[in-house]
Amino acid sequence: MTAIDLAAAGTGQAAPKEPLRRQRRLSVERIAQWAFLAPAVIYIGLFFGYPIVKNVVMSFQDYTTKTFFTGEAPWVGFANYVSVIKNSLFSTTLINTGLFTVGSIVGQFVIGMALALFFKRRFPLSGVLRSLLLLPWLLPLIASSAVWKWILDQDSGILNQALLFLHVTPAAIPWLSSPNVALISVILVNIWLGIPFNATILYGGLQGIPEEQYEAAALDGATGWKAFRYVTWPNLRPVVSVVLVLGVVYTLKVLDIILGLTGGGPANATQTLATNSYQQSFVVFSFGTGAAISNILIVISLVFTVVYLRLNRRAIDE
Amino acid sequence: MKTIRIVAALAVAALVPIGLAACSPTTKAAPSASHLDLTVEDYFQAPQVDVYNKIYATCAAAEGDTVTATHVPGASLISKVLQQSSSKTLPDVLMLDNPDVQQIASSGALSPLKNYGITGKGVSPGVLSAGTYKGDLYGLAPAVNSLALFYNKDILSAAGITPPKTWAELTTDAKALTTPDHYGFAFSGINTYEGTWQFMPWMWSNGGSEKNINTSQTAGALALLTDLVKAGSASASVDSWAQSDVDNQFIAGKAAMMENGPWQIPSLTAVSSLHWGYVPLPTRTADQTSQAPLGGETFNVTNTGDKAKQAAAGKLVACINNAKNAGAIATANLYIPSNEAAAAAFGKANPDLAGFAKIIADARARTALLGADWPTAATKIYTAEQLSLTGKAAPDAALAQAQSGN
Amino acid sequence: MKQTKTRQLPYTVLGIVFLAIMLFPVYWMVNTSLQSGPAAVNATLIPLHPTFVAYQQAISEQLGNMGTSLAVAVGTVIFTLLVATPAAYALAKFRLRWVGLVMLALLISQMIPGIVIANALYTAYNDLGLLNSIPGLILADATTSIPFAILILRAFMESIPPSLVEAARVDGAGHWRAFWSIVVPVSRNSIITAGLFSFLFAWSDFVFAVTLTTSATVRPVTLGIYTYLTANIQSWAPVMATAALASIPAIIFLVFAQRYIAAGALGGAVK
Repeated sequence: MTAIDLAAAGTGQAAPKEPLRRQRRLSVERIAQWAFLAPAVIYIGLFFGYPIVKNVVMSFQDYTTKTFFTGEAPWVGFANYVSVIKNSLFSTTLINTGLFTVGSIVGQFVIGMALALFFKRRFPLSGVLRSLLLLPWLLPLIASSAVWKWILDQDSGILNQALLFLHVTPAAIPWLSSPNVALISVILVNIWLGIPFNATILYGGLQGIPEEQYEAAALDGATGWKAFRYVTWPNLRPVVSVVLVLGVVYTLKVLDIILGLTGGGPANATQTLATNSYQQSFVVFSFGTGAAISNILIVISLVFTVVYLRLNRRAIDE
Repeated sequence: MKTIRIVAALAVAALVPIGLAACSPTTKAAPSASHLDLTVEDYFQAPQVDVYNKIYATCAAAEGDTVTATHVPGASLISKVLQQSSSKTLPDVLMLDNPDVQQIASSGALSPLKNYGITGKGVSPGVLSAGTYKGDLYGLAPAVNSLALFYNKDILSAAGITPPKTWAELTTDAKALTTPDHYGFAFSGINTYEGTWQFMPWMWSNGGSEKNINTSQTAGALALLTDLVKAGSASASVDSWAQSDVDNQFIAGKAAMMENGPWQIPSLTAVSSLHWGYVPLPTRTADQTSQAPLGGETFNVTNTGDKAKQAAAGKLVACINNAKNAGAIATANLYIPSNEAAAAAFGKANPDLAGFAKIIADARARTALLGADWPTAATKIYTAEQLSLTGKAAPDAALAQAQSGN
Repeated sequence: MKQTKTRQLPYTVLGIVFLAIMLFPVYWMVNTSLQSGPAAVNATLIPLHPTFVAYQQAISEQLGNMGTSLAVAVGTVIFTLLVATPAAYALAKFRLRWVGLVMLALLISQMIPGIVIANALYTAYNDLGLLNSIPGLILADATTSIPFAILILRAFMESIPPSLVEAARVDGAGHWRAFWSIVVPVSRNSIITAGLFSFLFAWSDFVFAVTLTTSATVRPVTLGIYTYLTANIQSWAPVMATAALASIPAIIFLVFAQRYIAAGALGGAVK
């Protein structure tokens, strides 16, 4: 359902033709309704409007360290975009971003959903365990990525030691130091990080489904998988949409965890659009190029969101 | 920005200075007419920060001024400086890691030190070139540091090996010192400026240049490190190790030798069971001179436009760089004073660091050749190193690919 | 009753096993913090010779920072919920004209890298005198949590039956009264969920902390931890000790808040 209004964006519903008096009362009503929305709209405008405009403008300029002091940034048209797209690294980062996002989202969502369903059964300690599930989010990423780095260390990491001890693998796995494995490792850590988010919000959604519906379905013989298919899933749909859309949007711009684990390496094997944008801006000081990459990232994010929501809407309509 | 790695890279590079700076002849100028409160910004943290705070306060008090010092996390310094540039809120005295000086000077945010009578007389040429942009000196580091080959005395003597002097010796020694318990050698080949910094000695000593890395000299240096990893004499993880990770491995006894700097010495001395020594990094042939990169923090006067404050800031920078303060800074950080005479005296008084006094005499500034273009070149260097260490490309092909701007 | 509990025991065991796997990195962190040895690489599986030196250091140096983090996080939760809850309700239930556009703006706002916002805010904050202040950090941290909370709350509120609110309206209640007396209580679960994540976002924020503060007087604990790592000697034990210690008040908060997520809250109300 989340999808619906979004797809209506831009079309705008025509104001109904009504008698004048009714219209005036309606406009008072309208104002009262907008009052609910006003603080949020003002806040969003103030705190996001300026950064977005600035980032777009920056991407069309030769914006360097000098610009910060002098304020002068020559216009370069699409030169930043052209140089970004021409760079051979661009296709690598695009593929990495795609793999990272798809891998992370699938893992997080499936495990998160399973956990949400699991915790829906109330059993002793379920509340405490559910709270503790959020613990990974409380750790500063700088601490947890360092811990993961030790765990995944090829020679002395506990994971390889355990796998070797159990004879799961014949040789130590170069989790972070091989370009062929590093992306998988980074995805695994990101899944770990995303499970609490997915599980908690989906759990919240499950709690909102009236028990009566399950009871009614059970009378019709729908239990287990069928109950999930015909009761849980349709009811959960708005929440699932939000979790997936936000999940993808957040995952596309993940920066900290990759920087903390591999810094985009080895040999750019884990370089994504987000890390590359960061590097262009804050490592090479080419702020125009960095802004161009982040704008490309935003457009990809936007395209995904709109396409997803439209498809989703069609699915609901049918 | 929780960019641990990159941050750590910047921070480590910053930790590297040495120190005696030039004591300018104008430091004895008459106290300024009115009392000023100067702002200083650096990235020092405990425990070194106390030493700096004291120096700032004493120097300012001598002129009848006071100082407010801000200490920001290392990795965020440059972005903070840029924000302050655009909002015209730069501190009066700004500390910068030496490879950043030319970048910031090129933006116009810094004021040449000659305006304040600071010439850097007696300071080693490498330190001066790090702080010089387009012929003018903008930043002066009281103390600097560099890189050397640290070795575990117990492991080497048990194997009957003396520290290697040439690449060939390094290769055979590292091989011989590798056992199931430890690798022969460890270095940082990470994809940050830290990796670049650790690559410079091998490249420079062999005649390579950052101007064009697609040369046989640089390829030779890259082949040396790549072959050490291929032969199993160094861990394949070096491509993800920062210098602190390398130090950790060495302390844990998992590496017989490592490339690292004097700022790690406190962590080494903290382990009483560890017996260690250090020598200059090996060169390809015995007749080459080991050329290590220069690390350390410079102090700069910013272009705030407030003449009185800028003059006072100039005096503060000069005072921070005087022989006494440079000695204190060097002691606190385990750096070497950048004034040549003071460095020699410092080396005598601190036998642990005497070797570094010599290494630093030949050390080179990373930005000497390229100035503000250094970041691009530094990125190419670590990119090539990563391609080669991970086996994605042969050393020469990796360098060619990186040089062409990938 | 007793019988049900025994039958449910396998679930508890399964839950504990899964939690143990999930939280292994957390265990490893605590483990490292108790082994103040020089080399983190050599940490053993169990802290055989635990030392609390790192904790003493963490308490003496980071207690104030934890207070700051807590104040910022709680402030962010309050501010976020005050702004987001009515907005979410309006977007879910009112037939307003530009709803689609507002939704799109909310989603786009979540696509912007935090660093871009932080950089832009710096200049504005500098002019407004909001640098190095708790309200400044709360407003900045809300850039993540407000759009998020609106989207989440709206998704939940869509399932509120219109009949509930209409009944109150027919009784003469204005929009706000209906909102406070009907919508908010019925949405308790989702408000708590949105609040939890607002808390977590603010608690773990680093980008805004590092960009918008310079002094040690207002310094969230993430930044306090970070400064350990940029010091000359990188010592992980105090980092991990601080991380572990700092999460304790937050864990209490989480457990406490989660208790109030009730099963079938909405179902009960509809009856």
